[in-house]
Amino acid sequence: MELPGQRIAVSNLHKDFKIYERPQDRLTELLLRKPRHTLYHVLSDISFAVDNGKSLGIVGVNGAGKSTLLKLLVGTLGPTSGNISINGQVAALLELGAGFHLEFSGRKNIYLNASLLGVPDDNIKALEKDIIEFSELDYFIDRPVKTYSSGMYVRLAFSIATMVRPDILIIDEALSVGDMAFQKKCIQRMNQFRKDRKTMVFCSHSMFHVQELCDSAIWIDKGKIREIGTSDEVVGHYEDYCNSKQTYNSIEKNTPDVPVTEEEAETEGPDETDLRDCRIDSVIVKSLEGEILDTIAPLSDVVLEMEVEVLVDGMTGNFGFAFMKSAEEPVVSFLTNDADDVTAVPLNKGDKFVVSLTVKNIAMRVGQFFIVAGVADESGLLWYETRYSKSVQIQANKGVGPLTMKADWQIEKQGR
Amino acid sequence: MTNSLVRQWILTPIIHYRLFHNFTKQDFLGQFAASIGGLLWLFLTPIVQILTYAFVFSFVFRMESPEDFSETSFVLFMVIGYLPWFAFADTVARSPNLLIEKAPLITKVMFPTQIIPVVGTVVPYLTHGIGFGVLLLYMIFQGHLNWLWLWMPLVFFLQFLFTMGLVAIISALCVFLRDLQQLVGILVFIWFFLTPIVYPISMIQDESIQNLFLLNPMHSFVNIYREVVLLGEMPFTNLYIIIPVSLLTYLFGGWFYMRIKHAFGDVL
Repeated sequence: MELPGQRIAVSNLHKDFKIYERPQDRLTELLLRKPRHTLYHVLSDISFAVDNGKSLGIVGVNGAGKSTLLKLLVGTLGPTSGNISINGQVAALLELGAGFHLEFSGRKNIYLNASLLGVPDDNIKALEKDIIEFSELDYFIDRPVKTYSSGMYVRLAFSIATMVRPDILIIDEALSVGDMAFQKKCIQRMNQFRKDRKTMVFCSHSMFHVQELCDSAIWIDKGKIREIGTSDEVVGHYEDYCNSKQTYNSIEKNTPDVPVTEEEAETEGPDETDLRDCRIDSVIVKSLEGEILDTIAPLSDVVLEMEVEVLVDGMTGNFGFAFMKSAEEPVVSFLTNDADDVTAVPLNKGDKFVVSLTVKNIAMRVGQFFIVAGVADESGLLWYETRYSKSVQIQANKGVGPLTMKADWQIEKQGR
Repeated sequence: MTNSLVRQWILTPIIHYRLFHNFTKQDFLGQFAASIGGLLWLFLTPIVQILTYAFVFSFVFRMESPEDFSETSFVLFMVIGYLPWFAFADTVARSPNLLIEKAPLITKVMFPTQIIPVVGTVVPYLTHGIGFGVLLLYMIFQGHLNWLWLWMPLVFFLQFLFTMGLVAIISALCVFLRDLQQLVGILVFIWFFLTPIVYPISMIQDESIQNLFLLNPMHSFVNIYREVVLLGEMPFTNLYIIIPVSLLTYLFGGWFYMRIKHAFGDVL
């Protein structure tokens, strides 16, 4: 079933780990042939293929099974069932510098490491100079590896693994270490790999790198393939999922801090749905034309909107919006209380409001934000209810720094 | 099966020569890299042990070489058995940790892991072989050289294969049963005293019990070294024992290792 152009073909791959409660259980099982383990399905029903010259990204939350999948591809773990066929020489960077001997110099380590990666005899000598040059280690190459900083360590390992020119390169989280300059070099190197029509499998938490370096991507969730497709699509959906989860987490974290809930919980009993004074049904970010946005261009105008449903009689309400970097880090806030031209409105049970705020010339230049919308009492200190929006991405424009501002240039040559 | 055993076990150091070479070099030199007296410690241990045994058995117990060897001092008689034993014992005692200490490598890098027990045997044998070689040189200067010495490299090589087979088994088992580490230490200790090294076998009066010692291959090795070097005789009974025992242990060790190595990744 393997096509000639396929470097990696995986079909119906399953991997279980046997979990033993106590180490002696493993022995008992071995001797008495009586099962003493519980099975843990790390991966189930994984099938995919990577064509020659293509690169595949693997994304997923921690513990989803990414590393296990890579180990299976490399062959250090055997599958429980299913087939993996690998066609070509593989170099893997599952752990940077796994084979380094700390007492030896970097130069000596090049030799053992390269032979572990299966470099054909005597080719190492020819590669040595390139490896040292790429790793930027200079005279440190003759110092013991134990004296290296973690960055130097990684640089050497990455240089060796990519210098041996395998047909297939398998990388786990390699780029998360090292300084920016070296990361850039790594990416150049990996792009060169793609140009040379080598095959890559790449697992990272850096969505940017996956998007940049991979043609297609797999999203693994709880040991199963949740999505497989082009890297742009998969990464987009995955990021979306992560963000909504993050928002959810911050709400969870925040709710107990809202004083209203606590106070009322004491007086009125435990059922939370009855305690609330009002409910915010939605928080969205729209363009002036009414289109819902998940990315904002700097200096553009947007409308923040919340829908509020009042659950009890006789309150006077203020409304507020804030841009939040995280649940603890507000960037900018807007409160009807502080605005001279808005007066607090009386709230009665059953009332529904749509509150919107037009924000002009967004000054944030980079990053990701949530909008938190809230309803507060007359003083603006006691919050009845708050709710987070989905995260909103700012499309970075040219420049540096967290902010941008509307500005006009004037350059006049003065006569002398 | 035979075919794959030959290719994956017996020929490993040749097929993966570069890896074998680099590993051996690294582990051999690694012994000296960390400490100032690295090389010194390696030789100090057997020397101190020999001196201790010489003091206890030769001086305190006034042990003498048995009748056949009466021309040799007891200390020399003992040392000819002790040095090859020490190569064996030190290698076996190190074997439980071989795979465990290379766990990051085994789980993260795909390479023929059977190179590890091979290197794990070669390195201590190289080290202790130097000591044994120096002793043999001394014996040559003492005028003990004879034609039967031609057997010596072969016998020592058989001992090496016997050790490698055991190392393969122990190192692989220890991945699954870490308790073996302690057990191996105790067993090597007992084995030492069950091998007539610090005492001549002739001290055992009962001939039927003497014959029981033939079950211990290390006794056969030690006896061959002694009789060849000191008497110029070859004890063929011992030779006929160690040839099949060594080869079978070596092959079984390799077969066993290859059988279970696929599961290392799950456990390490």
